[in-house]
Amino acid sequence: MANRIFSKITLSKNGYPTISLTLRSLSAGPPPGTPPPQTKIKFGPLADEDRIFTNLYGKHDWRLKGAIKRGDWYKTKEILLKGADWIINEVKTSGLRGRGGAGFPSGMKWSFMNKPSDGRPKYLVVNADEGEPGTCKDREIMRHDPHKLVEGCLIAGKAMGAKAAYIYIRGEFYNEASNMQVAIAEAYQAGLLGKNACNSGFDFDVFMHRGAGAYICGEETALIESIEGKQGKPRLKPPFPADVGVFGCPTTVTNVETVAVAPTILRRGGAWFASFGRTRNSGTKLFNISGHVNRPCTVEEEMSIPLKELIEIHAGGIVGGWDNLLAIIPGGSSTPLIPKKVCEDVLMDFDGLVAAQTSLGTAAVIVMNKQTDIVKAIARLLMFYKHESCGQCTPCREGVHWMNKIIYRFVDGNAKIEEIDMLWEISKQVEGHSICALADGAAWPIQGLIRHFRPELECRMRKFAEVQQRASC
Amino acid sequence: MAQQTVRQTIKQVKPILSLDKEEARKRVVSLYKAWFRQLPYIVKQYDMPKSVEQLRDRLREEFNKHQDIKDVRIVDMLVIKGQMELMETVNMWKQKGHMMAYFKDTWEPKPKDFLSKFLSGKD
Amino acid sequence: MLRTALGKALKGAQLSPKHARVMSQQPKKPEQIEVFIDDIPVKVDPGTTVLQAAAMVGVEIPRFCYHERLAVAGNCRMCLVEVEKSPKPVAACAMPVMKGWRVKTDSEMTKKAREGIMEFLLINHPLDCPICDQGGECDLQDQSMAFGSDKSRFTDIEHSGKRAVEDKDIGPLIKTIMTRCIHCTRCIRFASEVAGVDDLGTTGRGNDMQVGTYVEKMFLSEMSGNIIDLCPVGALTSKPYSFTARPWEIRKIDSIDVLDAVGSNIVVSSRTGEVMRIMPRVNEEINEEWIADKSRFSYDGLKRQRLVTPMLRDNTGELRPVDWEAALLTVAKQIKNAGANVGAIAGGLADAEVLVAVKDLLNRLGSEALCTEHTFPMDGSGTDLRSSYLLNNGIAHAEEADFVLLVGTNPRFEAPLLNSRLRKGYVHNELEVALIGPKVDLRYQYKHLGDGTDVLQQLIGGGHEVSKKLKSAKKPLIIVGSEVLERPDGAAILAVIQKLSASTKAQEGWKVLNVLHKVASQVAALDIGYNPGVDKIRENNPKVLLLLGADEGAIEKADLCDNTFVVYLGHHGDHGATIADAILPGAAYTEKQATYVNTEGRAQQTLVAVTPPGRAREDWKVIRALSEIVGAKLPYDNLNEIRDRLDEVAPHLTKYGEAENANFFKQAQDLAKNVKTQLDCTPLDVKLKDLSDYFMTDSISRASPTMAKCVQAVLKQKQSKF
Repeated sequence: MANRIFSKITLSKNGYPTISLTLRSLSAGPPPGTPPPQTKIKFGPLADEDRIFTNLYGKHDWRLKGAIKRGDWYKTKEILLKGADWIINEVKTSGLRGRGGAGFPSGMKWSFMNKPSDGRPKYLVVNADEGEPGTCKDREIMRHDPHKLVEGCLIAGKAMGAKAAYIYIRGEFYNEASNMQVAIAEAYQAGLLGKNACNSGFDFDVFMHRGAGAYICGEETALIESIEGKQGKPRLKPPFPADVGVFGCPTTVTNVETVAVAPTILRRGGAWFASFGRTRNSGTKLFNISGHVNRPCTVEEEMSIPLKELIEIHAGGIVGGWDNLLAIIPGGSSTPLIPKKVCEDVLMDFDGLVAAQTSLGTAAVIVMNKQTDIVKAIARLLMFYKHESCGQCTPCREGVHWMNKIIYRFVDGNAKIEEIDMLWEISKQVEGHSICALADGAAWPIQGLIRHFRPELECRMRKFAEVQQRASC
Repeated sequence: MAQQTVRQTIKQVKPILSLDKEEARKRVVSLYKAWFRQLPYIVKQYDMPKSVEQLRDRLREEFNKHQDIKDVRIVDMLVIKGQMELMETVNMWKQKGHMMAYFKDTWEPKPKDFLSKFLSGKD
Repeated sequence: MLRTALGKALKGAQLSPKHARVMSQQPKKPEQIEVFIDDIPVKVDPGTTVLQAAAMVGVEIPRFCYHERLAVAGNCRMCLVEVEKSPKPVAACAMPVMKGWRVKTDSEMTKKAREGIMEFLLINHPLDCPICDQGGECDLQDQSMAFGSDKSRFTDIEHSGKRAVEDKDIGPLIKTIMTRCIHCTRCIRFASEVAGVDDLGTTGRGNDMQVGTYVEKMFLSEMSGNIIDLCPVGALTSKPYSFTARPWEIRKIDSIDVLDAVGSNIVVSSRTGEVMRIMPRVNEEINEEWIADKSRFSYDGLKRQRLVTPMLRDNTGELRPVDWEAALLTVAKQIKNAGANVGAIAGGLADAEVLVAVKDLLNRLGSEALCTEHTFPMDGSGTDLRSSYLLNNGIAHAEEADFVLLVGTNPRFEAPLLNSRLRKGYVHNELEVALIGPKVDLRYQYKHLGDGTDVLQQLIGGGHEVSKKLKSAKKPLIIVGSEVLERPDGAAILAVIQKLSASTKAQEGWKVLNVLHKVASQVAALDIGYNPGVDKIRENNPKVLLLLGADEGAIEKADLCDNTFVVYLGHHGDHGATIADAILPGAAYTEKQATYVNTEGRAQQTLVAVTPPGRAREDWKVIRALSEIVGAKLPYDNLNEIRDRLDEVAPHLTKYGEAENANFFKQAQDLAKNVKTQLDCTPLDVKLKDLSDYFMTDSISRASPTMAKCVQAVLKQKQSKF
């Protein structure tokens, strides 16, 4: 999901309220919305009865009838009638963190919106612009379980006091968009949406907006610009979307998966969701496993499952066996890669991967075995970011372009060894200096490559120089 | 007491050459004579299309230009300048054009009143 | 439309800081917060950006995209500074300060960030400074010297080279070398926010992003030249000025523009006795820092069609060059013969000095036939009360208005800078505009009330839909074009408008009635006591007629007796010179120190940038010389003395820079009741309707090849389907 990379800042910046929350819970009794302490030590595999996305593979009917059969839209009215505070508290209890990549606690994010209106309507925007290479979780939800998302929009909208939801869907997702549209229409016809949705007295609309195929439109402010009909170029923050968002109104932008899991959480209870995964990393998650594995797949798993286990159980192991593993990009193309050594025992959750100098991102696991030209692979990713940079701000426009030029020379080894340090410095110069986090996402794969595969780069350069010298003799 | 001394020093300025008017006059006269004697040679050496008489008139005119000057120090200074001029002339450091400049008859005074300033385009 | 989105977004966000003046008139002032810039404490209002706070303590933060009169874009990232406890540097131009922030503009992190951005900007910027017109006044040059790294790491120049971008053709005024563009988007923001012409934008993404007009077309704005000043690099440069001079070899003289009645402040750059270019000078009261294209680019008209020597018409009817003596003697002889039967007509470019000199001379001769080319109704209070003919409320205050009624004017072309103020009010201040007159494109939305005079009657009666708005507005403005007041029923129109103005409930000190003049000389001429309109000349049929640069053809040879001797004093061989029997060459506004009074009654002076060409003389001196020969010698010989005389006639004429307010609105209105003229039913009209009409309106711009090219380009653009 494209928006995974973008709210990294908000995480670090607004991260400290979480800390103060935990401190308070130590001193007195836990305030409402505190997740129960985790007692488990072993995580995963997930039991079938605990799966949220029960039609992930499209084996059943995705339309309203099938969805109701699978438990969607069950007692939605009651949930709505319990009120915004109850919903937000329950989501807080569940410890749900944003599934788009930055992992900002959803309960808190929603509570920012739940304040008295100043006369402007509030909007929920669902980020379905899933463009990050390697990521393919939202499309599975939208084409096989669209009602989960529609219902989620309604509930999240209620929690925020929003007037309507915009689902910004990636332009290339034609079938997904059409399924979503059918689902929305069905919901309207069944009285689940629109005026007096589910007979709860709450008016709520859901609109679809199809993008035109730009990765940058997955960034929340660029997405807002795009919905407004402008060029999808990120806005400056502040003002944050919660203050000035789509059409100048307070807006929350959330990922599809975050919204889609909300109804199930509310039905089964926040504590149930919190029972999966380590503390602060609770819940279940869709993992996309691609690359050199025997059975690439998208699978719902418990958070904090060991990476090795995830691959062995669901993807049928690595092509050529575990020992043939070279490196894994654990969270979509913009996260730094981790070499085999780290992959052995790393846990797939936010904290576990941060400790391994990478990040969970969208949990799109890209596996590369020893037959991979790792430099070329990273160079190709850079090419992607170069192509998708919006060109608005300098570090990204010029820096990513430059890094792309250099890394393609590295593929052949046509460079001096000092240039590796230069590339590292440039990537640091790009990171954190731009309006949005696309440039960061371009810098991190390079940093990961240099961190773990510097000998490989140097070796190529020496070889190239030798060939050159021999040719000139 | 001290103040008086100061005033005295200020009043008695340092002479350049001459101590009194008489001495200054002598110097002027001797400069005039030196020039006067040199004039015939000047006409020849510089090949001037002027007669010695014309040069004599011009010399007198030049000296008369400063006849009103009473300050000894200024007189002295003018004498020194005249001597320098003479030296340059005698030693042929000048050229014909420099000498003929004394006879420039196209000299126009700077316009003074508005209309002549306007017509000449000078401000 | 830009307005709606911005207006909404503005509720939370702050737009361009200069607009804040309009916005920040809330009754209670929020508490100030203290921040530290490089450990210097400063108290600022909440919402102040880091960059503004730094400016308050004199710390300059480098920037490319930020411009104080445009919306904040924050995309160049040059203004990144370190804020204590923030893990990454923040963009100073956009980030509002928080309480207790410690900003470090000189720290290692800040320096590194600047060096990094500078390096990025330079990798794709061509190294063509030696052939770049911006060289010497280039922000990129200056800032790379001040903040850039001292070495280059761009090894890729040996492998793949730099980016190259095709140049765009956006008209005859602006030269584009788009390879030099650093994508600061200032030009785009200017076009859409200030000029109101959304022609510029970006196409492409990432490194392929280009600034341009989407499809190749002319940048159709009367303010287009300002993007040359805004461009921090040499991507947008002046086409007429290209390769003519370097900024360090030109002499800059502060002056005043006289091609419209606004009196924009300008800087005239000259070299080798030639005007090389004209640029705006900041004056918050008048032109902020913009000028219109005619003011900026018509300077090449100052070198063409000039009258450089006095001329007399010989008996074959040919004008022959003569010297000043002959010319003055001939004219003086004619004047002596005519006795008191002498008249004068002042054109649109005449300065106050010559106006007063001519008036003094004619009065001495016993004549009162002093006219201006442009008419103004004399019924009612006429020109006796200044309030009847000034833009009373001032140009700067126009942006604060909440309702504007334009009557018979097209401010976009008659006074582009006033129009930009109105547009600013429209965009940022919810200003509503209504217009009576022909439907013209003002680059903002307005309510068109029709072009008949009956609308005025309806407004007076209160029966019109707009009347209520006009009456309830706290800061209403009625701006009347001087052109409609030149109509036969001008007095009636003015009387109606005076009545209408009096019926509004404007707040204390707010002046509703505003007259917008089209030429620079008119207000000074009326102040000095000229009669508006040439009727007096037609009636009197003077034996000698003095034309002070009167080129608009208000009077033709046919209007005069056969034996009338016409003297033309001016600088261009335009309409007036062709009918003249004697030509006395004068100085253009860049060649004299002269006083002009703009439409709001503000006296300003031009300064000498270059000397008048050939035998041309400053205008008032010609009159002074003539007076001496005629035998009615005027008592002033130099500028100070004639300025003393100006001071005697009207003290405000020498209070440079100050707008002298006018009052007596009520008295004027009372006098207006005596007006006998009736409104006639011909529709109100303006001359300047289209951009192609705008460029050539006076003798200077008519002589300018650049302006001619502009007209051609606009006409050509109209043929285009884009």
